[in-house]
Amino acid sequence: MQNTVLVVDDMEINRDILTEILGGEYHVETAENGRKALEMIEKEQEELAVVLLDLMMPEVDGFAVLDVMQEKGWIEKIPVLIISGETSVKAERKCFDYHISDFIRKPFDNALVKKRVKNVVSLFQYQRDLEAKVHEQTKTLREQNELLKLQADRLRKSNTNIIEILGTVVECRDFESGEHVNRVKGYTRILAQRLAQDYPEYGLDQEMIDVIVSASALHDVGKIAIPDNILLKPGRLTDEEFACMKTHTTRGGEILQNIRNTWDDEYGKISYQICRHHHEKYDGRGYPDGLVGDDIPIAAQIVSIADVYDALVNERVYKDAFPKEEAFRMITEGECGQFNPKLLDCFRKERRAFEELKTSYDHMDND
Amino acid sequence: MTTKECYDLMGADYEDVLGRLMSEKLVRKFLYKFADARDMGELQSSLKAQDYETAFRMAHNLKGVCANLGIKKLGASSSELCEELRGGQCTDRVEPMMAAVQADYDMTLAAIRQLQAEEI
Repeated sequence: MQNTVLVVDDMEINRDILTEILGGEYHVETAENGRKALEMIEKEQEELAVVLLDLMMPEVDGFAVLDVMQEKGWIEKIPVLIISGETSVKAERKCFDYHISDFIRKPFDNALVKKRVKNVVSLFQYQRDLEAKVHEQTKTLREQNELLKLQADRLRKSNTNIIEILGTVVECRDFESGEHVNRVKGYTRILAQRLAQDYPEYGLDQEMIDVIVSASALHDVGKIAIPDNILLKPGRLTDEEFACMKTHTTRGGEILQNIRNTWDDEYGKISYQICRHHHEKYDGRGYPDGLVGDDIPIAAQIVSIADVYDALVNERVYKDAFPKEEAFRMITEGECGQFNPKLLDCFRKERRAFEELKTSYDHMDND
Repeated sequence: MTTKECYDLMGADYEDVLGRLMSEKLVRKFLYKFADARDMGELQSSLKAQDYETAFRMAHNLKGVCANLGIKKLGASSSELCEELRGGQCTDRVEPMMAAVQADYDMTLAAIRQLQAEEI
């Protein structure tokens, strides 16, 4: 706690009187002119509880001291109490413009000087304590915030890991899925970026796009529950087999539901939506729930187009690959079911990007 | 001689100073200091040297100390001189005013010295 009082007065007798008054409670230091006072303030600013300042002094007077204290910002940290024989209100007003704490006229009263000094000192002490407290709390908050960020980061990494592991599981079951998963992620990102840009009403931000892209790898995770003879059957499925095949959406949803507790909410929610609803159609004729329009979660709608496009332009156990132009036409003309018109708009605008991505994977296969 | 008698002699207000400084011992201590200070000499020499700025400051100081010690008579005459010198110019009223201050000072000093002499 600051306990030093600096008395600045060119008259020795005034310094002595003030030292006498305040010496009992404070450590009193004195300066006989403004220059020396400024040197001492600079050196001892951490210890100073208050400066008692005379106005009229040779060379560097009280106002000059106040000028420097204001310029260096000391006046906010160290209270200044003017003690002056100056009787004009003008001088007093001018002093308060410098944000001094109090103005005492000579002759002064011992008891009053003591009280006023004490008031000013405790007020500033209180202020300093508050500032220290606020500073401490801000520091704690910042540390906690850092910790939260770190944990969120760790969680995100762990989510990505889980998705990758699950994605690999699907790849192992389904011969064609290895590259398929990566291509679907690519198409999903292209569509999602365009949708975010042209249709802000869906509220997609970069973080959400990253989650959707990452979670798109899981769209077929339910296929691990489909028997090989159906999953890998070349040619058309019977109605019964197709009904079983369709359950990969609900089975996928169930699998994710089970691990959802350990997951970040957003990741769990989006992954579930994609798994269960990526075969819904905009006109309600999809499965498993027959959802209509934007009742189908937007993440599932995006992945749905990406998945259909990839299925069309690549060879499957049950079909040959369609040319890119044909695939584009089939999707835009509704031959693979109805899609959201806004998403189709994005798909048209990104036709080139889709085709380039497909071509780049073709080159990789040839290498 | 009591401190009160000394104050009466100086044309000063003892009750006032005791009320503010709250100890007779302190009052005496500062009276003796005042008597030893060289400020009066500086006031005289700065006037002689026509350094009216310093003279104003010294008169102002004298006024301040007198106020603190309750030395009313000298305080009043030095206050008049101080106001006359404010702004750093000399008028023909300065000389008689200075003479009055000198007279009050001599009287004050004599009283303090007497008090001091009797104490020892």
